[in-house]
Amino acid sequence: MSLNKSLVYGFGVALLALFVVGFIVGAIGSKFTDSNPFLKKPEVHLPPQLIYDPFTSDAHGDSHDDHSKESDGHGAHEKDGHHGLPPNHFVITNTLISSWIATLILILVLVLGARGGRSDREPKGFYNIIESIISALYGFAEGVVGDNAKKFFPLFATIFLFVLVNAWLGLIPIYQSLSTFDSEGHITGHFLRPAGTDLNMPLALAIVSFIFVEYWGIKTLGFGYFGKFFRFGALLKGKIFEGIVDFFVGILELLSEFIRLVSFTFRLFGNMTAGEILLLMTSFLIPFAFSLPFYGLELLVGVIQSLIFSALTLVFVTMAIEPHHDEGEDH
Amino acid sequence: MEALGFHWPSLIAYLLNFTILLIVLTKFAYKPILKILDERSSNIKDSLELADKVREESAQQQAQLDDQLVEARKQGQSIIEDARSAAEKLSDQEREKSKKEAEEFLVKAKNDIERERDSAMDELRSNFGGLAVSAAEQIIQRSLDENTHKDIIDNVLENAFTDKTEES
Repeated sequence: MSLNKSLVYGFGVALLALFVVGFIVGAIGSKFTDSNPFLKKPEVHLPPQLIYDPFTSDAHGDSHDDHSKESDGHGAHEKDGHHGLPPNHFVITNTLISSWIATLILILVLVLGARGGRSDREPKGFYNIIESIISALYGFAEGVVGDNAKKFFPLFATIFLFVLVNAWLGLIPIYQSLSTFDSEGHITGHFLRPAGTDLNMPLALAIVSFIFVEYWGIKTLGFGYFGKFFRFGALLKGKIFEGIVDFFVGILELLSEFIRLVSFTFRLFGNMTAGEILLLMTSFLIPFAFSLPFYGLELLVGVIQSLIFSALTLVFVTMAIEPHHDEGEDH
Repeated sequence: MEALGFHWPSLIAYLLNFTILLIVLTKFAYKPILKILDERSSNIKDSLELADKVREESAQQQAQLDDQLVEARKQGQSIIEDARSAAEKLSDQEREKSKKEAEEFLVKAKNDIERERDSAMDELRSNFGGLAVSAAEQIIQRSLDENTHKDIIDNVLENAFTDKTEES
């Protein structure tokens, strides 16, 4: 009892000491002491960094053993890596590698986990964890869309898990610190960066979500699905005012389908990027213990963003398959 | 868009990546797990139904058992009752019988006594007859004064007594 208590007190004192030391050596404290801050001011670049270009076989990342050559083109590489990728061909970026890692983790964990299950036995061990995650997600999907949950569940769950794992990968210590250095010890590139901070990843998810929404809408309602967007019914009946209003409502509906793409993309991209910048800045201003609460915050943000992305997809799908009022219907 | 990092080959890479993930997870993770969940929930439903049925049955059986128990108790009671009444009857009979026997015995004894007494009287009477005859004989043989008379009678009585004692 007293040992536990003293442990807690010791831990608290250590945290406080770390905080104080961080405050003194960090960017804020160093202004008072007129010294260099403990960490350099982080540079934030929105585009991901190029790690490997398969077409010119120009390995930016794999150059530990070849510092001299690397340092020659250092400035050019920096510019290359940060301010644009070769525009028209495929390159491997650090965010792409990160997304592959997330994909591998998900496939390994879920597929291996699913193998241990039997319906006539109580769920045990690792399979139990996987099953409870899946069944919790399924329960959520069922709560949103009801009986259709079975059809939409794979998309929903995959988006949720993919976004979540990608967001949380970036919170693993050292994950983003794996870097390449030049001969002077400057960081020239980071191997790994959470994929959510790469605009293309949220955009890809938004496109997948968009495609599935439209696909299920058309599949369920047939050609009538487009009736939601092109409302000429009232106009053709000769009701001029109502017809014009209805027509514009249809145009707005159509626009909102595409605006979703943008909002989906930038919501996730913005949140993930802002989280990264927040962690960088807190560590820069007051190193060590100060950024801990923000890590907790980012864990939460990861869950919330993945839930928002996946749940909104579910909601849009549900809206798309709902039979809407016909153009010809009188109100 | 360029400044934000838009890069269409990367976009396609992510699309492919996600599609593969979606297919693999659907096929090898969601489907088996959801199937297991479905099976388990239907199993549980079945077992719950079965449990209901069993509970109903057992309740019925319990009721039956209770009925049987009540019946058995009733029967036992009646058996005990019967036995008790039979025993009472038996003991009554027994008592009656012994009473009767005792009475019979008593009557017989009385009869015996009476007969005994009668025979004793008869014997006495017959003995007295003899005595009277012998006394009369003696009286006739001797002179009839008062003293001899008395002697004779005494003599006779004495003889008779001694005879009597000798006889018995």
